[in-house]
Amino acid sequence: MTDFKKIEENLKKEAKRLLESGEVTVVLAYGKGFDEKHPMPYAAKSVADVDNIVFNEYCTYNMARYLVRYPQGTKIAIAVKPADSRAVVQLIQEEKVKREDLVLLGIPVDGMKNSKTGEVIDSKTTNGMYNPVLYDILLGEEIHGQKAASPYDVLAEYEAMDKDARWEFWKSQLDKCIRCYACRKACPMCYCDPCFIDQLKPKWADKAPQSPGNIMYHLTRFHHLAGRCIDCGECSRACPVDIPLYLFHKKVAKECEEMFKQASGMSIEDKPVLVNFRVEDSDKILE
Amino acid sequence: MLKKTAIEKIPELAAALMDKGSLLAPVKEASGHNFAEIKDPQKVDLNFYNTIISPKGAFFPHKEDFIKYKTGKDASAEEVDVDSKPVFLFGVRPCDVKSFSIMDIHFNGAGIVDPYWSKRRKATTIFGYAYDLNQPVDATDFYNSLGIYAADTEGSDIFMVKTDKDLLLKGITPKGEEILAQLNTLVDAGKDDEKYFEDTLQKGKEYKTRFLCIDQDVIARKLEDIFNNNDFWTKVSSACLSCGACTFVCPNCYCFDICDDTLFGKGTRRRVWDACMFTDFTLEASGHNPRTQVSQRLRQKINHKYSYHVKKYGVISCVGCGRCTRSCPVNIDIYSIVEEALKV
Repeated sequence: MTDFKKIEENLKKEAKRLLESGEVTVVLAYGKGFDEKHPMPYAAKSVADVDNIVFNEYCTYNMARYLVRYPQGTKIAIAVKPADSRAVVQLIQEEKVKREDLVLLGIPVDGMKNSKTGEVIDSKTTNGMYNPVLYDILLGEEIHGQKAASPYDVLAEYEAMDKDARWEFWKSQLDKCIRCYACRKACPMCYCDPCFIDQLKPKWADKAPQSPGNIMYHLTRFHHLAGRCIDCGECSRACPVDIPLYLFHKKVAKECEEMFKQASGMSIEDKPVLVNFRVEDSDKILE
Repeated sequence: MLKKTAIEKIPELAAALMDKGSLLAPVKEASGHNFAEIKDPQKVDLNFYNTIISPKGAFFPHKEDFIKYKTGKDASAEEVDVDSKPVFLFGVRPCDVKSFSIMDIHFNGAGIVDPYWSKRRKATTIFGYAYDLNQPVDATDFYNSLGIYAADTEGSDIFMVKTDKDLLLKGITPKGEEILAQLNTLVDAGKDDEKYFEDTLQKGKEYKTRFLCIDQDVIARKLEDIFNNNDFWTKVSSACLSCGACTFVCPNCYCFDICDDTLFGKGTRRRVWDACMFTDFTLEASGHNPRTQVSQRLRQKINHKYSYHVKKYGVISCVGCGRCTRSCPVNIDIYSIVEEALKV
């Protein structure tokens, strides 16, 4: 189990040091919310701000989401849990941020909780990793020896469905969508400006919360994230009507991994699978 | 006259209402409760705290078709009628009931009468429903700060209180009394029930949500004063993702867009909810956007509810139901922002 208090202490200590020395101008971490169970994403910009930093089991946000808000070249320290570190790596691969502008404060985690439901977040809704894939400073002890479940195990039931059943499943799930776009806004990989769904020329889907517009929005978003989704689960947690978006993302990630032998956001040496061509790449995508 | 029905007979009551018109009531969905048109009376579920999405959709649906049209050679257009058969809006919490009267300002007053809203308002009987005073208050609620209490009957046609085994119903308006008199599934309540009902209304005042002393003129002026305080607005909005979850669940957000959706020569002109938190909300035809920053958009949202609305209509456009905070993916809390603003 993660020692949350210890990590909070280390996070504050490092944030203070980095801001004091001027090494970074902003530390992206977690801050106090209206109560302990509801912390918030927080950008500490001065030593005085550091007092507001917290870390507990409800600090689930993927702070990589906020990186693209800062002009390139801004020196940023960012608290990264395992999935968040993969998001940062993916953003580096996609040249949205530069490695040299970032200080990664790595946080190994086990037992994060969804503040809405109180459920422990594990490989069912996220990639289920315990340790960040990339960090400069580690704020806790790396976690080893834990049984690591495959993030794709949860797909068993979904994969057992035939095409028609899957279509029905997604139709009924996406019918619930109220088009608040919390999913794309919580997603660290959704940085398009403007997002296709906001375009008026061409207009890709109507604004009303109904099919086919809902399906157009979600299926397009799912595919825009093919080979890029790092399975942090933020989209599903952000959804006010609990659409299990993670299922589709996991399914696409799994196919992608099988085809290209590369998981997203694992190494800054990798190139994003869908912009990279290798002779040995699978032709399955063309079938 | 106070009436009652056993809790296990609520489906019978629901069925009786369905015979008279459409019934909108809370149903349990995977993510929680929401109001829905009832097809199966067994689905009505009064064991909820509050719904995820407010009941404003009963009068102001998320999407509302105005005109069906054809383009091209045989161009034609036909208005879509609002169904005016009776509607029973069942199980609305007092803070949400209050929200309807604030929304009336926009849709049924202030010089504009929206025919869609007002037709539905007229056709609807509101069954208010006291919060369960034995359950803990949700940490996000703050309706007490807006002068609303857990068992206020104001605005309801019929008000309902649940006991251990019964649902007590009392007509508040003549319209409500008339409906109650027609419902044969109900029986007269006894003296004990009367006492329980009255006690609940009283005890509702002691069912404490978060409380902040909000003088509407003070907060309105304060927000006006700090309009240009960029540090403040940047700070309170730094976590905001600028999604529309808060506005879509809100009982008092009423912004909408009117869109034409045409495909293969056939189309619909409809009204759809819009949200001031969306980047393209203020995008002008020239390409200019006066609110490009998240901080500007969040400032608009807070100021609209707590400042402009007070100055224009003399009332805060928020009932403290706590939905925006509960639905926010990053726990932004409007109560805390108002609290902070007062301290600046």
